[in-house]
This record gives sequence, structure tokens and C-alpha cells, in this order.
Amino acid sequence: MLRAVRQGLLLLALAALPAIGQAFYLRNKVSWESPIPASELVAVDQARAWGDSAIWIDARPDDEFARDHVPGAFSLNEDHWNELLAQFLPNWSPDKKVVVYCSAESCNAARDVAKRLRDEAQLKDVFVLQGGWEEWVKKNR
Amino acid sequence: MKVFWRILDFIVAGIFIYAGVLKVLDPVQFGLDIDNYKILPWFIGVRLGFYLPWLEIFCGVALVFRVVYHGGLSILTALSLIFIGATVAAKVRGLDITCGCFGHASQHWNFGQHMTIDLAIFFALGALLWIELTGGRLDDKES
Repeated sequence: MLRAVRQGLLLLALAALPAIGQAFYLRNKVSWESPIPASELVAVDQARAWGDSAIWIDARPDDEFARDHVPGAFSLNEDHWNELLAQFLPNWSPDKKVVVYCSAESCNAARDVAKRLRDEAQLKDVFVLQGGWEEWVKKNR
Repeated sequence: MKVFWRILDFIVAGIFIYAGVLKVLDPVQFGLDIDNYKILPWFIGVRLGFYLPWLEIFCGVALVFRVVYHGGLSILTALSLIFIGATVAAKVRGLDITCGCFGHASQHWNFGQHMTIDLAIFFALGALLWIELTGGRLDDKES
């Protein structure tokens, strides 16, 4: 038992070395304080001020989108990614800013959809709406 | 029988090394996967995203070479148990999550698939631990 503990501690310490090295190497590319870097977040007021130059993406499930959504928003969730992306892309142009939202501050869907839009669809200017749908409703109703 | 346990060592080690390498290639994504469980704050999750994959690799290597074997086996068993607990807790709380266990390969696994893989690994580790503790392997090359 003592041997297992000693060996375990050794492994725990050894694994920390490359992890620290990798974290140090990538230190400037990682958002350490928040899962979404501040530069990729946009507040409701600012996003609304963008007017027609913003395209809204609703990353919530289909039924929530059907219940209500930001006027003019496109539904794009990971459940039907390929199908919904194909519907959305013809409406996108390089001069547009993309604002993605999900239910609330704590949801992950907007972050994940925004990441996929950047990585897979190679879109620029993709932002996550701070506070999500909940915040939008607060500011608009 | 000794050969059987050794093969099981290699299979389990291979799974953890493979999973670790996949995650080492994108530690931030793994940090996001951890964050999806909504158990730990981001500043811890992102650090674990860097640390856990290396721990899995080191423990896997320990199983392959039977160096610090007991430590590696104990850590992997504990990790496996934590993954299972976290997955069940997420399900109970209604979170629709990807486990991130095998990077993007596991992105579309459902809860049943998560649990099947996690439990299979956990029982394999448990069997290896049991056989070590009871001396059933009768291997004299222990570290």
C-alpha cells in the first residue's frame, strides 16, 4: 500500500513536468481566466449596435429556437450541424460579424458552435453573446 | 494465465496512452470538455486539461514497462472512478456533455457509450489491481 502511494506520488510529480512545460509554451495562446477570451465575447448592447452587419446564430436546441429567438437569427446547433450550416452559410459574407448565443451565461453551446465556425467553416469575426438568450431577453423585453 | 494479465496490461495501457496523446495535442479543448461538467471552475479545469493527459500517458507507460506499476494502476483506477462519477453526476444534472475522453473521437458518444467504455476500463483496472494485491499473477519482476 505504501509502495503504491510512493509510486503514485512519483507519477503525479513526473506528469507535472511536461504539463508545466506545455502550459508555459502555450501561455499566450490560452485564456486562463475564462473559457471564452474577452476578445471573443460581445455584450448585447454592442452586438445590437452592429445592426445589419451582424448575423445572429442561435445555438440552442431546435425546440427552444422554435419557441422564440432573436429576430432574424439562424438556428445552428450541433445536433443538426451539417444541415443547418448549409442553410446558414449562403447568408454569410466576409464583412459580417457573427454573434452566437445559447441559453445563458453558463451554457456551452454558443462557445462550441463559435469554435466550430472558426475552425471548420473558417469564419472570421465570430463572437459569443455575453449572457446568452437570457441577457438578450432582459435587455429587449 | 500470466500472459492474459500481461495482455490486459497492454490493452489498458494502450487505451490510456492513446487517450492521453489525443488530449495532449489539444489541451485547451480538453479543458473545455472538463468545464462542460460544471464541477470545477475554469481556472482549475484548464490546468487539469494540461495535466491529466500527461498523467494518463505516464501511468500507461508504467503499466507497459511494469515500472512504478502499483502507482500507475492505482492512479488510473482512481481516475477511471472519477470519470464515471462525473459522467453520472452530469447525467443526473441533465447536462448534455461530451466526455472528451478520446478527444474528438468521443465527441458524439451518448451516455450509454460513455458508461460502457468507462465501466469496461474500470473493471479491467480493478481486475489488474485485484490480481496484484492477491498475488495471483505470481510475477517476480515487480518494481
